[in-house]
Amino acid sequence: MGLRQVADGPIGDEYLLARDGVGVETLAPETDRSAIPLTGPDGLDRHTRRDLRKQELAVAREYMGGAMWPYVVAAWGGFALWVSLFPLTMLDIVPLPIAFVISCVLATGGYVTSHEAMHSNIAQKGSKRRWVNEWVGQVSTIPIVFPFSMARLMHLEHHYHCNDPEKDPDYTDEAPNALMAWYKTWYNRQPGVDGSIHAYKRILNEMGTPEAARSLKETMVLQLVFMAVLFTMAWSGYAIEAALVWWLPRHIGLSYIRFYLSWAPHHPRAGRTGRYENTYVFKSRLGHVLSMCMETHIVHHLYPNIPNHRTRAAYMALKPILDQRGVDITKL
Amino acid sequence: MEAAVKQLFRWMPFIFGIGFIAPLVAQSLAYWDIEAPFGLSRIYFGLLIGAPWGLYAVWRGRWI
Repeated sequence: MGLRQVADGPIGDEYLLARDGVGVETLAPETDRSAIPLTGPDGLDRHTRRDLRKQELAVAREYMGGAMWPYVVAAWGGFALWVSLFPLTMLDIVPLPIAFVISCVLATGGYVTSHEAMHSNIAQKGSKRRWVNEWVGQVSTIPIVFPFSMARLMHLEHHYHCNDPEKDPDYTDEAPNALMAWYKTWYNRQPGVDGSIHAYKRILNEMGTPEAARSLKETMVLQLVFMAVLFTMAWSGYAIEAALVWWLPRHIGLSYIRFYLSWAPHHPRAGRTGRYENTYVFKSRLGHVLSMCMETHIVHHLYPNIPNHRTRAAYMALKPILDQRGVDITKL
Repeated sequence: MEAAVKQLFRWMPFIFGIGFIAPLVAQSLAYWDIEAPFGLSRIYFGLLIGAPWGLYAVWRGRWI
């Protein structure tokens, strides 16, 4: 396992077939343009920017890769534990309140392991252990009923079009303040609202590619399985178990993920599409780990090859360079 | 097939109301040892809540 190549853009271009027939190669210059602009508001000349970029890459490389097996253990072990909660609660072996808390943690944390797989950080395409990467992704987001294929496609779209109101699939999470952001995480999941997974479905339909079609199919199957399990358990006398092991933890997990992974590091989004301005450094009231390392999410957007748990250390090392780039580093 | 699936998902809140909310209400009442009002059985009471609530969600596109 590990990384075979160094990249500072979203990994997995092969999965991204953008909407409106726009190919990845067409999008690439847009990304490059914001990376090293010839002129910019930061007041730095071209040579200084190039020099800073070289320094930035040299530092970032030190934090790419590393041991990724804990993500694999967490993903597979967590999924096994989550599945076991169903019989364990139905047989009264594990008390429901404890199972509920565990399920909430697993539903929320599953996105983190899946996220590493989305960027192929566990094993690159073509490597011998690629299947490990894929299966980490596949099982991690089942508790939140969010298929890996959809998660990966939409997340890469988010990277390529970060904060673009028309193209960033996560733009619907934008809200004027934290309270409204929490409300929106729930509101966007309402059946008639074009947000969250409903927006993702619309975007996948617009993409119209075989990958998008497969993703839509997998989403439909997973949602139907979710409903079938809930209904079967409920009408068999285990409605409370179904609610506290899957239904409610899914909602709590989705809201938590939406708030900390989407709203908090990207707010405010309007007009902030540049490489060094589309993600903010912030201080979380819950701390770095409980905010799922999102305080230093800017490092992830700059270098998705840096694993989540190393973004803080990478940020500290990159801080002087980011400061010169105009990033607000006063919060952390 | 696609049209049938679309219809299924369109009516999913109503199905959810009957398939999940109704038994959840009934079993929650039983858990706390509360009788359903008006002499109804708990599951009928659950259906009286779940089915209209699901229909409302289909109609309005919101659960609340």
